[in-house]
Amino acid sequence: MDLRVLMLIFGSGQQFRRVKAIKNTLRGRRTVSNLYWALEYGLLDFVDVLHGTDFGEDQLVLTQLVSSGLARADDTFRIQLTAKGIDQQQRYLNQLLPLKYLAVSSRYDVAKFMRRFSFASQIVSEFSYGNNQYYPQSINYFEDQLLKRWFVMNKHQDLPRHFQQLLRDFLGDLQPADLADVFVQSLVGHNFSGLTAEQVAVKRRTSTTVVALQWLQLYGMLLEKLMQAGKTSLFSPLVSGLAKSTVSSSAQATFKLFLQQKNHNLQAIATQRKIKLTTVYEHLLEVAIMSKTAAFPYRALISDDLMNQLLAHQPQNVGEWTFQDASQVIGQLAFFQFRLFQIYRSKMSDDDGSQA
Amino acid sequence: MTMDLKRELKKYFGFDDFRPGQEDILKNLLANRNTLAILPTGGGKTLLYQMYGAMTHQRVIIVSPLISLMQDQVSRLQYLGSKRVVALTSALDFQEKTAILTHLNRYQFIYVSPEMLANQQVQQRLMQLQIGLFVVDEAHCISEWGPDFRPDYLKLGTVRERLGSPLTLMMTATATQPVRRNIIAHMNFSPGDIHQIVLPVNRANIFLSAKIFANQHEKDDALIELVKQLNGPGIIYFSSKSKAEQTANTLTNETDRRVMAYHGGMDSQPRFHIQQQFLAGNLDIICATSAFGMGIDKNNVRFVIHYHLPANIQSYVQEIGRCGRDRKPGLAILMYEPNDRALQMGLIDHTVPDESLLDYLYAHPKMLSTDDQFRVVKFYHDNGDSLEQAKTIFNHARTRRVKELGAMVQYVYTEKCRRDELLKYFDEAVPDGERNPSYCCDHDVDFWDRWRDFSRQYLNQPAQSSQNEAKSWQQVIDQLFLSKN
Repeated sequence: MDLRVLMLIFGSGQQFRRVKAIKNTLRGRRTVSNLYWALEYGLLDFVDVLHGTDFGEDQLVLTQLVSSGLARADDTFRIQLTAKGIDQQQRYLNQLLPLKYLAVSSRYDVAKFMRRFSFASQIVSEFSYGNNQYYPQSINYFEDQLLKRWFVMNKHQDLPRHFQQLLRDFLGDLQPADLADVFVQSLVGHNFSGLTAEQVAVKRRTSTTVVALQWLQLYGMLLEKLMQAGKTSLFSPLVSGLAKSTVSSSAQATFKLFLQQKNHNLQAIATQRKIKLTTVYEHLLEVAIMSKTAAFPYRALISDDLMNQLLAHQPQNVGEWTFQDASQVIGQLAFFQFRLFQIYRSKMSDDDGSQA
Repeated sequence: MTMDLKRELKKYFGFDDFRPGQEDILKNLLANRNTLAILPTGGGKTLLYQMYGAMTHQRVIIVSPLISLMQDQVSRLQYLGSKRVVALTSALDFQEKTAILTHLNRYQFIYVSPEMLANQQVQQRLMQLQIGLFVVDEAHCISEWGPDFRPDYLKLGTVRERLGSPLTLMMTATATQPVRRNIIAHMNFSPGDIHQIVLPVNRANIFLSAKIFANQHEKDDALIELVKQLNGPGIIYFSSKSKAEQTANTLTNETDRRVMAYHGGMDSQPRFHIQQQFLAGNLDIICATSAFGMGIDKNNVRFVIHYHLPANIQSYVQEIGRCGRDRKPGLAILMYEPNDRALQMGLIDHTVPDESLLDYLYAHPKMLSTDDQFRVVKFYHDNGDSLEQAKTIFNHARTRRVKELGAMVQYVYTEKCRRDELLKYFDEAVPDGERNPSYCCDHDVDFWDRWRDFSRQYLNQPAQSSQNEAKSWQQVIDQLFLSKN
């Protein structure tokens, strides 16, 4: 994926944003620092949407964006889009579905679904021609087993007609309509080889990254459609087991213990879980960032007195408030509580803490 | 017996005739004779064990060193009609490996990498199964004298015995006499136990040519001209992935041919699209690294161009063997400029550890497990070889590779018949009466001034595939799913 394109899509004309933080958000590096910046940039819905993807070098991308007049940079490797950059951003966004369809990849493994659906299409396509001599796609063992079971169970259900109908309904409703042509090129089947993202991009005179995002969005949309069809649908097994957790299982375990405690003794949790106290802090911050405001007990971790002091001294842009500045005006301030307060304020200003 | 085997061939694969050597090898296997088969690339090695499995309904274990391509081999066997196929390689994660081992009895064809086969758990599981045929593919990897030595192959003799000494088929496309002796010895056979079937390496339908260019720029210009006018699908081989990609772009821009790059560094999905397009005739040319061509059957490739010098003559013969598999004329072109030798020397330096690295690794043996490229050093270290012994071994390996590269360069510069030059490496000669000076190599005819005529005369341009015609999404869906109504 071309990081320049992604920086333009997820950059802002109003806010300086860290290149590394955006990159790490998209590829799902769940450190508290990354998640915090994702919250500040309104990008929490896009955590891990491009899991495992290779990106270009941050510094090089920053230099290229600045030298081509698309962005300006400050001395902390943050960029803000220029008017020219915003024009380019709009051109990219015009080629995509609304970004909420990319956000599906944060909650579900859409890339896996894409490989699964593409392989299922190939099997059904060749089956419809009665051909069993073909090169099947490569897929991992468990996916292969899932597809085999699904096919054996359903092959007498007129699968070709169901696939045809599903895709006609799905693609017929698309806006912009030409995305239907982009979608079908991701498929392979009888006497049809499809195209790579690079080949589609050449045909449509766009970037390979845009085509890769279009595919992720389209498959995200199709996945949601198939999930809505319910468990009795013929396609239900194809969408099973794809859910991703937005909070790491270790953070969930820490938070569960915290909720069970009456005295909120974080050191006791650390001892019980055999982790460091700082790790307990990180887990709680992660849960706070990824939860709705009302679902996290901020008041149990920030006393009324401290909350009042923080509220009294907070600058207008609390996200840019540094711990160093805050601790100069509030004695005995712990970083954990300071960061928790920042999360709280950020969430309060953006009701449910998410952007679609 | 002959008639029966042909009937079986027709029944299982739909072919009327065997390729040379196939029938002999099958007869040996069916007579329960351990066999070493030297079959040229495209000689139909896969069909041998697949047909044996189909006829005897027995389980077949195939040891193959090509981990990254094993999934392609699985696909290929599935393509050829066998469905109970699985690959056991280090590419599997723990859960996959556990599940496959648990259900291993469900599979008739089990591909396994030599490293995985050395694993005790895998051996234990295989020992519980009935094995009808034990196949060692690319058997030259067993020989320290071969160019692709893999230390884990040395354990295969012992592993085979632990598996109850099943009937064994060892196969390779190219092996010299010393390599053959070495293979038999390492598999713990005595020469008398083994039936050898050696097919000629020579492929008379492939015209051989090479040209020396002053520099890369001149070579690039010549490549564009060749690609513009040579008929038929073709493969261009490169030593580097980035050059393969870059050249694919240049050729797309500078010619009207449909060209794409293909290499092991690509994601599996685009690789699959490209492979399918090439098979279907929607692409004319593939710019590839040596990874391409092993897993697929495309019989009508008309030319193979080497943009970079291969490491040795064995690799070269394997790669040019991917053209003319339909036995119609094919053309091999080797493009050389003096820096190409340095590129290969650099690869030798990169793959064969030097003395200072050996000093370091022997002083820090924990480092041996940190990188797969130290696998061979680890083998000798764990084997109890001293540092001095290891240095001698690797110095020999380096000298051997440099010598093999020298033979490759000599092939380029030779003023004699190129076919003789290639074949002498395998102690082979063009049989009397089969020499055909009008269709042999560029020293017998004025090829480089007349290659356009050559192309017109000998290389068929296939009809354009209709698959690539622009279709609406509705048409694509109707094409993909044939409706019964």
